[in-house]
Amino acid sequence: MRSEYLSRSVAPCPVGLVITAAGGRRNAMTVSFFSEVAHHPAALWVSVARMSYTHELIRESGVFSLAVLHDGQKELAMRCGTGSGRALDRWSGLGMQAGPEGFWYPAEALTVTSCRVRSETVLEDHTVFVADLLAGEVYANRANRRHLLTVDL
Amino acid sequence: MTEPARTIWDTKIQAVCAVVAAQDGEDVELWMCANFGQVSLDPPRIIVNPNRLYPIEGAVRRAGRFSINVLPESELESARRMTEVRRRSPRKAAVLGLQFSDDAGHGIPYLPRCLQTLFCETEQILDTGDHTVMIARVLESRTHAQRVGERPLLYPRVTRGTARYPWLSAVVRQAVVRSGAKEKLKRALGRGRAGEAPVDLAGETYRQGGQTEKEIAEIVRHGLSDQGRVLEPPSRATGMLRRRIGVCVVGLGQWGSFHCRLFREANPLVDLYVCGRDPARVAQVARRTGAKGFVIGLEKAVEDSRFEAMSLVLPHHLHAGAALLALAHGKHVMVEKPIATSLEDADTMILAARKAGVVLRIAEDMHFRPAVREAAAAIARGDVGEPLYFTAHGGGMVKLQGWKADAERMGGGVLMDLGVHYVRAMRLLMGEPDHVQANRAMQVDTRMGGEDSVHATFSSRYGWQAHFLLSWAGPRGHSPDMIISGERGVIHLWPGAGFYDWYPAAPRPIPRALSYLRPGWLGEKLTRPEMQRVRRRIADEDKLGYHLEVREFLAAITEQREAVSAPEHARRDLEIVLCGYEALRSGHWTEIPKFGAGYARGAAK
Repeated sequence: MRSEYLSRSVAPCPVGLVITAAGGRRNAMTVSFFSEVAHHPAALWVSVARMSYTHELIRESGVFSLAVLHDGQKELAMRCGTGSGRALDRWSGLGMQAGPEGFWYPAEALTVTSCRVRSETVLEDHTVFVADLLAGEVYANRANRRHLLTVDL
Repeated sequence: MTEPARTIWDTKIQAVCAVVAAQDGEDVELWMCANFGQVSLDPPRIIVNPNRLYPIEGAVRRAGRFSINVLPESELESARRMTEVRRRSPRKAAVLGLQFSDDAGHGIPYLPRCLQTLFCETEQILDTGDHTVMIARVLESRTHAQRVGERPLLYPRVTRGTARYPWLSAVVRQAVVRSGAKEKLKRALGRGRAGEAPVDLAGETYRQGGQTEKEIAEIVRHGLSDQGRVLEPPSRATGMLRRRIGVCVVGLGQWGSFHCRLFREANPLVDLYVCGRDPARVAQVARRTGAKGFVIGLEKAVEDSRFEAMSLVLPHHLHAGAALLALAHGKHVMVEKPIATSLEDADTMILAARKAGVVLRIAEDMHFRPAVREAAAAIARGDVGEPLYFTAHGGGMVKLQGWKADAERMGGGVLMDLGVHYVRAMRLLMGEPDHVQANRAMQVDTRMGGEDSVHATFSSRYGWQAHFLLSWAGPRGHSPDMIISGERGVIHLWPGAGFYDWYPAAPRPIPRALSYLRPGWLGEKLTRPEMQRVRRRIADEDKLGYHLEVREFLAAITEQREAVSAPEHARRDLEIVLCGYEALRSGHWTEIPKFGAGYARGAAK
């Protein structure tokens, strides 16, 4: 996560990872700009900087995974939130496992969700992706941990 | 170790709790949410996604501005109450005891006791299903100094239940998961067996809390905010007598004697006088009730300067004439219900009181009944969810004589005499009805001019119905006299009881434990409806509200203010009852005028 995302954060928000793969390329990027969209159809939104590698990969594949991090994953959040995925390998060390239908899940998180992009809204330097929820996993042995928040970083 | 997420709530996308607030006319609409998030840096923008069935959605659309008030952990209980409050209830802030300010210079209400406030202005609205995504620019982010250092409240804590020792609960849950006991238990109970169908996250989310367009349209048809209630029960203490006051009770039948007792017991500062036509009877009642003096005849009483207030306990058809005479002499008047037998008489009485600048109160104990007050608060808190049905079952085996058996003097029958009480209760608990239909069984007491039983159904544009079964034709048995049924619970009110019963829809501990018993029939056999009952005691000694009513009348006089339960509301009760009679005559649904519309016509005469 780039530091400006912390210094210019206007409210405490949960922290997660957007995991993307397209055409043999892959990336995991720390995000705090995400939340729920609707219960029918079940959907969430994630806002991604237009210049980012993740933005490029989501555009290309139309799908992504969102892992919600817990309070013990501060280091991981900092690592995947620094620099660019184009230059750094953020994938290694996450213990990624192939989930259903080609989605990737990290070895550790609070939860992870498979999402397919339904629509995009451009806001200057960010794009809001609205995505349908296809499936999800809950890390049962982390059920009692709390969310990692931007104020923890 | 992972488990499939069954719903969107399992994914824990909802995290930090906040109260979204927007000005909506005179009211502040609010919504406890855990699904907001920042969406851009420069300029800073935020997204909220209110459910289209929540009044906040419309309020934000109309106002174009709103605040997001991040809650600290210390507001856990407050957050829980917010999640339970009735969705369509207006004045949620008052129900929840939240104090909003609007002094930040943005014209946006906010919660000063929160951790941080974002003042926002809507820029874009995206229609995205059963929720609306609202993209808003952040005008200002303000941290509240008194909360610095506190952590934000997280949604899982709000939904986790109310364990007495949360840390112990967390340790036990962790141990159950890690040891595999949870999995084994699920298998033993026949849930989560291997080979189950794959989890349909979207489908299960819809089943548990989503709406299709058709379903939204069905709910919206009855309004997203229930604006049908114009009456609220008074608080426990509404005022106190501050000086000595003389009161004369006119009409010394059984109920008149009861009025004497109420005024005697109301306050030692009351000087009681009594008035009637029969000198021997008047003298006897005066002695028995400890009255300071007595008067023979109403005409003399209104001219007597020893008392400034009169309580008229007379046959219904005499209410208007007696009240007008007393009001014309500058007396404050409490008259028994119904206010009169015609709306024209009621209008004349109200105008006369206004002209004289005195208090006119119609004795309606239902307005002051503590159980009604507590039930109204429970409904507002969301204990029954959306109230759908109100049932009133009143009466008992009564053989009426004298003026009460004369339909002309009574103004009708059981619908007039008992109906006004339950109409008031319906208005306090549910709101104003729009239509009424009435019918009845055969007359049993053929010596009675008016109807001895009636069944009436009321309906509201806000989606609720009320059913009255009022009868003097037979015994009532042992049952609550009022029932409020809603989607999340039912409330039983018992006449004269110092409690009310609440049956929540969510299983209580014993029924829940019994539901796990196998074989299933054994659990069903052991389950009793009483196990689901929550009996809530009411501290008031005055179980029927009569004393509170009399004290409030006296306080209104000495404080020179309008009485709680204004006479216009008694007129409204009468108006609704008269519509019931019209429905009884016609056999059709009858439209009830909007509150105030009929009075305006009457006042103009």
